[in-house]
Amino acid sequence: MATLDERKADVWIGSGLLALCAFAAWRTTGVRVTPGPTIAGASFVPWVMVGGISILSVIMIARALIREHGATIEMPDGAMLARMGVFTGILVAYAAAFMPIGYLASTAMVFVAALWLFGERRILMLTLFPIAMIAAVYLGFTELLGVWLP
Amino acid sequence: MQNLGYLMQLLDPYVLGAIALGTFGGLIIGALPGLTATMGVALLIPLTFSMEPIMGINTLIGIYIGGIYGGCVSSILLRTPGTPASAATVLDGYPMAQRGEAGRALGMATVASTIGGLFAAVVLATLAPQLASIALEFGAAEYFALALFGLTIIASLSGDLLKGAISGLLGILIACVGADPITGVLRYTFGVSGFASGFAFTPALIGLFALSEVFTQMERAAKGDIVPLRVAGRWPTRNDMRESRGAFVRGSLIGTLIGIIPGTGSGTASWIAYNEVRRASPTPEKFGTGYAPGIAATESSNNAVCAAALIPLLALGIPGDVVTAVLMGGLLIQGLAPGPMLFQSNPEIIMGIFGGTFFATLCMFVFGMALIPLFSRILLIPRHVLAVSIVIFCFIGSFAINLNPVDLYTMVGFGVLGWGMQKFGFSQAALCIALILGPMMEANLRRGLLQTHDNLLEFASGPITQLFLALTVLSLAWPAIANRRARRRLAGAPLTDPEKKNQSK
Repeated sequence: MATLDERKADVWIGSGLLALCAFAAWRTTGVRVTPGPTIAGASFVPWVMVGGISILSVIMIARALIREHGATIEMPDGAMLARMGVFTGILVAYAAAFMPIGYLASTAMVFVAALWLFGERRILMLTLFPIAMIAAVYLGFTELLGVWLP
Repeated sequence: MQNLGYLMQLLDPYVLGAIALGTFGGLIIGALPGLTATMGVALLIPLTFSMEPIMGINTLIGIYIGGIYGGCVSSILLRTPGTPASAATVLDGYPMAQRGEAGRALGMATVASTIGGLFAAVVLATLAPQLASIALEFGAAEYFALALFGLTIIASLSGDLLKGAISGLLGILIACVGADPITGVLRYTFGVSGFASGFAFTPALIGLFALSEVFTQMERAAKGDIVPLRVAGRWPTRNDMRESRGAFVRGSLIGTLIGIIPGTGSGTASWIAYNEVRRASPTPEKFGTGYAPGIAATESSNNAVCAAALIPLLALGIPGDVVTAVLMGGLLIQGLAPGPMLFQSNPEIIMGIFGGTFFATLCMFVFGMALIPLFSRILLIPRHVLAVSIVIFCFIGSFAINLNPVDLYTMVGFGVLGWGMQKFGFSQAALCIALILGPMMEANLRRGLLQTHDNLLEFASGPITQLFLALTVLSLAWPAIANRRARRRLAGAPLTDPEKKNQSK
């Protein structure tokens, strides 16, 4: 496990939030506001939020820079971070494949790949368990609960 | 008489079976470290789609009650709280288990949870209708102030007020995606028609609380699974019960009061109850050494929160804690909008919920007592197998609500966001509550400003509005006040030996 100083993380996150606010502000200017009897139009709350997050982000960055000590955050090491990245990729691919390929095939592939990523190497766990689990969930949802699955 | 008729619907064996099954499922989920009651309710919402409203909602309440109680199992056997609500149970539960009295500790936790749960259920049945009749008088300004209070209190209790506030504001900004609640103007949709109604709420919550935990489990899986302690016996002794009488009363009262405050939850209640019971005890030195009243205080309070948190949800439409926020999603899916009008339009649902809460608490007691000898085996399920199974439920749960593949991406996105927030100390609870309260706050603020012609003084002139705004300011200032008091106490306290040595150096 690697570690990260909370102050450093706060500066980065604060900067990211400021960038997000800049982007949101740009998009908010495009919100169509119909003239009416009140200042509180469709873009009113978004502007308040953008302003609020910006101010608090600046305070967070300033606090991180002023603080003498920061907590230590336990971070996954490079290999674990890569595995988590791959896992996220698998989840996005699962989301993309869910409708076109269908629940059974896409889930089977994802189940085995994810178990492998989590360090499972027993053949029975990689074959029989996914089959039993996927079938049980499929029958439970479609037959018992009447939920349609692709 | 009519109310009795409404309660009869609960006697349907399918309804009773569904509540019992929900409570059992919640108990197992809560018992497993890392799987929280929030996650359980979020994941199992799809199971209730095809059910009648009364059956579906009570099943979710059963999962909630069972889940909060189940958290004590891994607290006592593993020193790893199954849910944040049972973190304080570790203090006395684990030392008692280490002395070979795990069954006694679990038995005390079960009895205390039942007492707290039943007490709060009585309060729910008596107080919620009264509160709902008051809430009928609420206007836009009152609702805005109440929602603001709910949001700020959860931000201020999230440890770091600044990060809690950022999480809350971010949640409101995310809730702005889609059609504006007053004029219907589209905001931040980037031309994607799937975003016109905003981010789907339940997939967002499933990602935020269930998928994010899978990422955390992935990190922890590298450290290996833990072998729990063996369990023998299951009943607290007569002496335990006698010593814990005060703890039951204080824990139940504190849990109920905290549960009623919008935005707070079981985690807060159990720590406050533990501290208060210790402070009032003639033997405070016994706390933390495996003392039964310590378990009684935390467990009676955290289960009292379950029913009490339903009070603001049902009476005001404001969730009492994060789990009830997810429950609100379950109600909305059933076509029921929680709030004072629900008492008038669907009294049978309200009575069904009251009765269901009692029944789920009793189921929790029966299952809890029956399963005590088996608890150590439940904890042997490998975490990585659980984590991967949860992914499947996350996907089905997110998809089944609207049959919309866009919801799957929403869920994955919120899962990554939730993991990051957890890692860097931001409040997932504040974001979640903001996602719910954001649209309500915006609609009421704008409606109120429209009614008062942008006159803020007139907007905030009502006594209830002023009360909630004052409470909002107090909740924001509270962390600073508490810090200052703690510093003063420290400054006035005599130095300990190591401190004196350090000073002389």
